[in-house]
Amino acid sequence: MAKPSPYRTAAKIAWRETRASSGRFLFVILAVAAGVGSLTGVRGFSQAFHTVLQRDARGFMAADMTVRTFQLPDAKQLATMDSLAALGVRRTQITETLTMASPGPDAAPLLVSVKAVDPDAYPFYGTVSLNPPGNLRTVLQPDALAVSDGVLLRLNKKLGDTVRIGGLPFRLAAEITNEPDKMTGSLNVGLRVMMSRAGLERTGLIIPGSRAAERFLFKLPPTQSIAAVRAELQKVFAEGLIADYTEAHPLIEQGLRQSTTFLSLVSLVALVIGALGVATAIQAHLQQKMDSIAVMKCLGAKSSQILRIYLIQTAGLGLVGGVIGIAVGSLVQMVFPVFLEKYFQVSNVPRFDALSALQGLLVGLLTVLLFTVPPLLGIRKIRPALIFRREMAAPRRTVGQWLRDALEPVISAVVILAFVGLIAAWLSDNARTGRYFAFAIAGAMVALSIVAWVLLKLLRIVGRNLPRAAGPELRQGIANLYRPGNHAGAAVMALGVGVMFTLTIWIVQRGLLKDIIRTAPPGMPNVYLLDITAASKDAVYNLLEKQSGLEGKPEMIGAVSATIQSVDGTPLVREKLQGMARRYARTVTVSTAAVEPPFTQVLSGAWWAPNAHPAEAQLSVGDQAARLLNVHVGSKIAWTTPQRTFSSTVVAIHKSESVRLSARIEFFFTAGALDGLPAIYYGGVRAAPKFVPGLQKALYESFPTVTVINMAEVLDTIQGIVDQISVVVRFISFFSILAGAVILASSVAGTRFRRIREVVILKTLGATRRRIARIFSVEFFVIGTVAGLMGGLLAVGFAWAVLNRLLRANAPPDFMALGLAVFGTALLAVVTGWAASYRTLGQKPLEILRDE
Amino acid sequence: MTDAIQIPSTGVPIPPPSIIEIVHLTRTIDTPSHRVEILRGIDLAIPKGQFAAIMGPSGSGKSTLLGLLAGLDSATTGQVLLDGVDITGLTEDQMAEVRGRKIGFVFQSFQLIPTLTAEENVLLPAELAGVGAENAQRARDLLHRVGLSQRLDHYPVQLSGGEQQRVALARAFVTKPPILLADEPTGNLDGKTGQQVLELLLELNRIEGTTLVLVTHDPALAAHADRIITLRDGLIASDVLKANQN
Ligand SMILES: Nc1ncnc2c1ncn2[C@@H]1O[C@H](COP(=O)(O)OP(=O)(O)OP(=O)(O)O)[C@@H](O)[C@H]1O
Ligand SMILES: [Mg+2]
Repeated sequence: MAKPSPYRTAAKIAWRETRASSGRFLFVILAVAAGVGSLTGVRGFSQAFHTVLQRDARGFMAADMTVRTFQLPDAKQLATMDSLAALGVRRTQITETLTMASPGPDAAPLLVSVKAVDPDAYPFYGTVSLNPPGNLRTVLQPDALAVSDGVLLRLNKKLGDTVRIGGLPFRLAAEITNEPDKMTGSLNVGLRVMMSRAGLERTGLIIPGSRAAERFLFKLPPTQSIAAVRAELQKVFAEGLIADYTEAHPLIEQGLRQSTTFLSLVSLVALVIGALGVATAIQAHLQQKMDSIAVMKCLGAKSSQILRIYLIQTAGLGLVGGVIGIAVGSLVQMVFPVFLEKYFQVSNVPRFDALSALQGLLVGLLTVLLFTVPPLLGIRKIRPALIFRREMAAPRRTVGQWLRDALEPVISAVVILAFVGLIAAWLSDNARTGRYFAFAIAGAMVALSIVAWVLLKLLRIVGRNLPRAAGPELRQGIANLYRPGNHAGAAVMALGVGVMFTLTIWIVQRGLLKDIIRTAPPGMPNVYLLDITAASKDAVYNLLEKQSGLEGKPEMIGAVSATIQSVDGTPLVREKLQGMARRYARTVTVSTAAVEPPFTQVLSGAWWAPNAHPAEAQLSVGDQAARLLNVHVGSKIAWTTPQRTFSSTVVAIHKSESVRLSARIEFFFTAGALDGLPAIYYGGVRAAPKFVPGLQKALYESFPTVTVINMAEVLDTIQGIVDQISVVVRFISFFSILAGAVILASSVAGTRFRRIREVVILKTLGATRRRIARIFSVEFFVIGTVAGLMGGLLAVGFAWAVLNRLLRANAPPDFMALGLAVFGTALLAVVTGWAASYRTLGQKPLEILRDE
Repeated sequence: MTDAIQIPSTGVPIPPPSIIEIVHLTRTIDTPSHRVEILRGIDLAIPKGQFAAIMGPSGSGKSTLLGLLAGLDSATTGQVLLDGVDITGLTEDQMAEVRGRKIGFVFQSFQLIPTLTAEENVLLPAELAGVGAENAQRARDLLHRVGLSQRLDHYPVQLSGGEQQRVALARAFVTKPPILLADEPTGNLDGKTGQQVLELLLELNRIEGTTLVLVTHDPALAAHADRIITLRDGLIASDVLKANQN
């Protein structure tokens, strides 16, 4: 008779075992489900949110990518763009140029900046809203203009009237109320008008060599990567400035970067917490199986047979738990947007992300197996003699034996960490993140186990020397931690790791929100005023202050026009400069700053001492200018103005991260360096959008030469996105912390089977339920406090590193969170431990003894 | 003695080949605080088909000795030979295989798998040996023989101590092992079921030629044995071979 396949036999035995005690397996299944569920839920939702966020960010550029140049494209550039088009990369061209518009025969012509677009393609993302409402494609006929707000006022015209540009009549067809890429335009000066490319050709304004800015907008098919297309373009547009949607706006850039990092961090943490839940469940499960395994060995089972049986069993449990987890995760993904509906448009959020579901299932199964194999491999070492002596006192070992015994768990720990690192790398699409993450876990584990060991040793000494008066509960509760076979150390570790990660999320979340609020402060200006003369600056300021609808104090900064004569002795000649650098050959706007302006970050060198007044001027240069001009700390720059010539030394390179006024100035001098030079002032103020037209009108009536740029709509949208990010950050953190708490609670609850026997014996010996509960409470409290303390300490450090290094948000270590962690974990451990053992307490001893 | 071979020419009885042979067996355990000498030097040979009873006061090392015979534990010094093969040097897996082929074991505390039914528990050793299908009927027969035909689908928790003991016995028999080791097999049974179990054991010994080594405190059971070995403080205190059995 043919022997049945060993796998079939193993599967049969595994199935029988599972069927008989489905109640206990439920726990394992639920732990796996919770892990996989939080993983898929968080990941799926993060991904969906990120998609929405990226879509919004694209709106600010109206494209996936842009190339800006100051020349018409040459043959090679055209060929490259055409070859990209063959790959499905769409493009459209925008030309921006300055010219004069004449409102009529007796009115003086005014400077206008013309933006010529192809209304059939532009914009790729976002929409241009018009007043009266209309479609850009139908409105923008070759003879029509769409104008920005304020233009009609300055021209003293109304819709339907005609102005002449390049000698040809154009009809004022509509006012633009929202222009998606307003902030990325090249020219934000003068009166802004938009016309079609056909209209521009009509005027004949663009001839080779004319000073116009060309912008190419690209829309990539899903098959093309941003990086690849960018690299292609980089080859031919050496002089052009290439940007993709992540760089559309400093705030968006920061928001995208921080939220991406944060969300992937949260996902990884969800992974670890989930794995932790799975690991503790499997560990507790196998712990219970040790006797059965020993019996099977006595009955002639080989290790390989047993391994097979339990691998099949745990894999099955993992699969069932994983599927339930995916269902839970998908539910979470569906519920998230409902909660967030108030805050942002969710109509386009994908509801079920098959990929993240599959990832979740795979990761769940993988972790189940990962944590199953080491204890199962330990089966080889289970002596059948286990049956005779349940908990053998460990015999004395030699150093060599000890090392050999220690090596095995170390090897499996390394293997597990490597796998977790790999999974982390896979989920974060970044090997470095995965590696760092695995190292962080490894470091945390080592630190945790050392501290756990020391603390538990100390406590044992305390427990032994406790005075009689302390009462039997306290003594026994502490003694319980050291009973043979009780893995207080392991429980503390699991709980500690969990606490560390959940607390890290909480602290990072808080720090991040603070940082977001700091970089997008409520009073941030949304209306900019250019070309204010020194004589009128106080009057303008007073007028501004009197306006209604202001949401912050007006800001004003003085600037001087100066020309760079030479850098480190090399004269700056326009013809020798490449691309964007050419703009520094014209006059540039410079200013003084006694102290480092807010929202700037010094990248190298150091800002001068407050109010320093050196004999030779010192300055700090913006990072972009520094790069284009090849300037570094220590460089000498010589300047000329109509009034005088002076030299200066670069002492710092800075980066302005915000839309504050100071970000518009790239050269800051020490106080006094610009004394005596004529200054032009810039102003900025925050006003409620609906009050902006009134403000514009008032300013125009008193100061017709002051240009007003209205960014209210755009900033409102940006603010909306930043708000969304903070809501989502808060929400996801809350969910992860909740999931973490549930899983931690269940891991404490999972140890209850180990305690059942003791409960019975204590009861048989006459202990009341109350007394038993107290004994256990002491035990749980100690475990919780030790874990909370260690996890909390590590979390404070870890979160600090993440915030300051990874997210580049400035945040001091958060020690308040530590206290909260210790208290919270102790409470969690006592409550869940007690709740899990409650049923045991109520049972009659015989029931339990027979249940053994 | 059941099958000692008589050599006619001399009339000197030559002992039949021993199925179990123990040479200078010791077992000590080092606990962190002190050293426990459980077995202090045992020499013993049990011929094929013998029914040996091991007696002795509690803590004298009976269960330890039985465990060593089954290779469930390893000796500190000395040897255990089964069918002339030294098992002290075998690996865990080799030992498991030997157990599967040669040894049935009945524990003092039953050791049924709590998650399997009575029938499944009995069938388990056969399945582990890859002969489950052939032995399904035998498993049921054995449970019938120990009076549990109504209890096939019950889990161990649902059985009394004596019933569990009988399931454990049936489990030890299922693969027809040449050696049966039992640690107080009737310890939990009343007189009547104890008698049933005893009869089963004797029948196995008689019909299938199984070598029986039982640890027992029960003089009635010991009375049926061919040989009574008494342990005291980890040493053999007496070894009595009964002249005329059966
Ligand atoms: N792992 C161990 N650690 C310490 N002492 C042990 C260990 N195993 C056995 N002993 C000791 O060895 C002695 C013999 O144990 P064993 O179980 O063999 O006794 P026994 O003769 O079967 O007793 P009983 O009739 O009560 O079952 C006992 O005193 C026991 O305490
Ligand atoms: Mg015993």
